[in-house]
Amino acid sequence: MKKASSFYGTAGALVLLMAATTPALGADLVIAMPNWPSGQAAANILKVAVAKEFGLEAEVQERGTLNAFVGLEDGSVDINPEVWRPNLDDLIRRYVDEKGAVVLTGRGTAAWQGLCATEAAAKLGIKDIADLSDTTKTAALDTDGDGRGEVWIGAPTWVSTGIERVRANSYGYAENVSLVEAEEDVAMAAVDAAVATDRPMVFYCYTPHHVFELHEITRLTEPAYDAAKWKIAPADDPLWVSKSSAPVAWGPAEFYIAYSTGFAQKRPAVAKFLEQVDFSTEEVTQMTYALQVERKAPLAYAEEWVKNHEARVDGWASQ
Amino acid sequence: MTKDMDPMFPGAIARGRAATRAALTVMLAAMVALGPLAAYAAGTQIYDSKTKKWVDYDSRKARQYYARNNQAPEAFRRQVVTFRTAERPGTIIIDGNQHFLYLVQPGNQAIRYGIGVGREGFGWAGIVRVGRTAEWPTWTPPAEMVARDPNAAKWAAGMPGGPENPLGARALYLYEGDQDTIYRIHGTAEPWTIGLDVSSGCIRMINDDIIDLHSRIEVGAKVIVLMQGAALYKGV
Repeated sequence: MKKASSFYGTAGALVLLMAATTPALGADLVIAMPNWPSGQAAANILKVAVAKEFGLEAEVQERGTLNAFVGLEDGSVDINPEVWRPNLDDLIRRYVDEKGAVVLTGRGTAAWQGLCATEAAAKLGIKDIADLSDTTKTAALDTDGDGRGEVWIGAPTWVSTGIERVRANSYGYAENVSLVEAEEDVAMAAVDAAVATDRPMVFYCYTPHHVFELHEITRLTEPAYDAAKWKIAPADDPLWVSKSSAPVAWGPAEFYIAYSTGFAQKRPAVAKFLEQVDFSTEEVTQMTYALQVERKAPLAYAEEWVKNHEARVDGWASQ
Repeated sequence: MTKDMDPMFPGAIARGRAATRAALTVMLAAMVALGPLAAYAAGTQIYDSKTKKWVDYDSRKARQYYARNNQAPEAFRRQVVTFRTAERPGTIIIDGNQHFLYLVQPGNQAIRYGIGVGREGFGWAGIVRVGRTAEWPTWTPPAEMVARDPNAAKWAAGMPGGPENPLGARALYLYEGDQDTIYRIHGTAEPWTIGLDVSSGCIRMINDDIIDLHSRIEVGAKVIVLMQGAALYKGV
């Protein structure tokens, strides 16, 4: 929608805008599609599955998360295939709890985030977060000759990157290693190069992600999430990183399919079907790999996926 | 982000030698797994199969090796390697720490070339693109080099392309958006510098390799510079 806003003011552009935000002629429903691979795969799988099971034609529209929620409320979107918690808890509170305009399915797909090591790093004994406080181990992670290892903690714009810095301070390994912020493509290429030469590397990681299909990657073990120890100051405080403390693992994350309340009333059988969809974390990782690494077209991949999981998809519709 | 001009001048090798950093002690098991030669951590090292020891690969040894073999050690020669990545074929990935440049190929492979990099690494990490290329490019020394170096001063108006030109046979000009970063991937008149930290910024390859790379890439190709010099990011 950011792109569309620059077109305001011309009649032709308004037509374009309307075309982009209303269902195509003949479409029975609209599925919002996020701009990341797993969301693209899921949106298209739902499109293909809904056509197969209900004979309904779904239009897939690329939309940002906020726009998808607005669309679910105003009726221009019927399904949003990937809604993350706790990341989007604010939106969920507003649209699900307060307005009652959106329903989240009851079955989430588990996700996690933390630090990971290449196989070479694991062989050097870097298996637990505490190993990052051992300079004899972390020296092997040095890539710039200053004697200190480097650990990629995320892209500069990510909220998680600041929290990784908090965690590094809280655990103490910020003293031993240089915390590197760089774009994800740079970090992932660094992982590729490290693996290609059997070199150790430790980096921020999250599921679902194609890197787990691409390489042998080990998640570092660490103390379990403890809400009492997870003290993250409000991010609008410029000193929030230094005021925060989190010497434990990230809390669990999950993502859900969302659909509009109005759509559930109009198409209760489809809503019931959505409640049965049970993508596993591994499956979503495979979807990401297929689109991101194998560069399969989302719709073609979705058709292949539904064909290969026909009995399961039929089962979702017959519950 | 510090972006120095590459001196790209024959005298650079002596400065690079003076700046050679001490190689770090690393676990032998991990190093053996790297093959016969590793540019591990800070310094470049070669595995001596006779003494079964890792020895620093510095500019003096590089010259000796090159004089004996007329080419760089095996690891720095152009070769196809297994390289699993989500990047598209045609993408260039530069690992200054290990002195390798990868050109991603289909089928989980890459063409790996040996490179010489800056004394302090590339100085930055990030994503750029090949904005333009040139064959046998003219080299114009930066003003500060002209001021301090009489050999450079005589080329202040530009040194024509040719075998003695420090840019070598081809140059790939790296752009960030539409802006020239002033960094280049180029050939060299000093082929023994491959595998070393010399000069102060650009990526150099032997002329055969830069000609090969130039023939395979498209203008616009994505170039990813890995995180060597990561200390620059401290406190970000």
